Amino acid sequence: MAEALIHAPAHGAGHGSDDHGHAGGHLTLQYHPGLPISNGKLIVWLFLSTEIMFFAGLIGTYIVLRFGAPTWPVPHEVHLSEPIGAFNTFVLICSSVSIVLGLESAKANKTGAAKGWLLITLALGSVFLGVKMYEYNAKFQHGIYPWKPHSLIYEKADLNYAAAVRLRLEALESQLQAEETALKTRLEDAKASVDDNPQIKIIRDKLELVTEEKNYERKAEIIAATAPDDVVRHDSLEALAARIMPMPTGHGAAASHDEGGGLNEEHPWLRLPIRIPGGNMWASTYFLLTGFHAIHVAVGLIVFTIMIFLTLNVAQAGLVENIGLYWHFVDLVWIFLFPLLYLF
Amino acid sequence: MSEHAHAAAHGHEDHGGIAKYIYVFLALCVLTGASFFTYSSYWPFHAQPKIGWAFMMSVSCTKAMLVILFFMHVKYEANWKYVLTIPAAFMSIFLILALVPDVGLRGHWASEERELYMAEPRTPATSGAKHGGPRGKKPTESHTSGASH
Repeated sequence: MAEALIHAPAHGAGHGSDDHGHAGGHLTLQYHPGLPISNGKLIVWLFLSTEIMFFAGLIGTYIVLRFGAPTWPVPHEVHLSEPIGAFNTFVLICSSVSIVLGLESAKANKTGAAKGWLLITLALGSVFLGVKMYEYNAKFQHGIYPWKPHSLIYEKADLNYAAAVRLRLEALESQLQAEETALKTRLEDAKASVDDNPQIKIIRDKLELVTEEKNYERKAEIIAATAPDDVVRHDSLEALAARIMPMPTGHGAAASHDEGGGLNEEHPWLRLPIRIPGGNMWASTYFLLTGFHAIHVAVGLIVFTIMIFLTLNVAQAGLVENIGLYWHFVDLVWIFLFPLLYLF
Repeated sequence: MSEHAHAAAHGHEDHGGIAKYIYVFLALCVLTGASFFTYSSYWPFHAQPKIGWAFMMSVSCTKAMLVILFFMHVKYEANWKYVLTIPAAFMSIFLILALVPDVGLRGHWASEERELYMAEPRTPATSGAKHGGPRGKKPTESHTSGASH
């Protein structure tokens, strides 16, 4: 990255104006940087330009998939909370301000203040990651995963979906029956009353619900398989899907929560397959984009933690500036991710 | 020589100080509030999402420029900044433009298998009210013959 000024030993008297000394006739090399910045800062900027392309690729792919998709979930279907996203945006903006104030303190050789700002940045970054973990957990609780064994998402209410509901209910039934028999034998061995036991009551209530839903599902599936009318077949499965998780209505803050959460919301242990049109692609892109961003946040936090043990005087200002540049970039990516993922 | 160049790049350090950062911070907060406003029920264009998208993207670009110019000090850097930022900006713009045909065509070219399992488009007015999209219609105009990659 440095341009060499080569001053070969003078070949003639014409080079008398050469003011660079060359000891003992050896070749003397003098370097001056191609760009008037420190190597560290140059590396950070080069790294950031590759990062720009990395995230531009990811965001571009998201846009392709999003706008090429036949449909896309509304935020409430996938348990996205816009206020939480806005709060996280605010947290990252605050952390950008605190690291830039840390840099100013380091430049002014105020080591204590610089460390204070660094600690605040570290805390704010941790808050961001904590909120992100809370959000991820909310999705996982509702069976929204980007991969299949855990994901409960189905794209539409077809026979494939109904079969998945049936299999889940059958699995639940046999599991609950096994639990009931085990508990029953245990109680009978202990000569305790079976019917008054609170645990067995809970299991029997659950079994009752599962049996009821099994009957409902069977009827829906039979109609869907045999009814001559297209619309009747379609509506039968739609009703099944809406019973498990109703589709939300309205936009933005006006989107309704009030139509009752459906079976999965009322009885979270059911974990029945859910119908979210476009939900699988949503989950893949959401977890990929926010996941890569969260990794970048985590890397920044690791560097901040290491820097806490340094004396952040004016000699270290370059270091603070470099990590600051990286941190602002992480903030920058989130500035685009927040509207794209939460508000679009 | 190098010290001179260095000093020139960092010569004018007193550009606004803390107050400037506070103003930028306030501007960023206001702009975040502005894009969040599209979510509120006072936003008048819920029926035309494209207006909201354009609004939010311009707000995001403004925020990005504020962060780049002031927090990343790019406004006060010497001309070397163009060497790094312009090529990177062009590359990322080209990258996104190169994907534009895919945006246009993805909905038109669906394989038979994809069409079988993919979601039905929902009609904005009736989504939820009538659980699901228009029946009897294929979700996309399909050209299945050419789509089996």
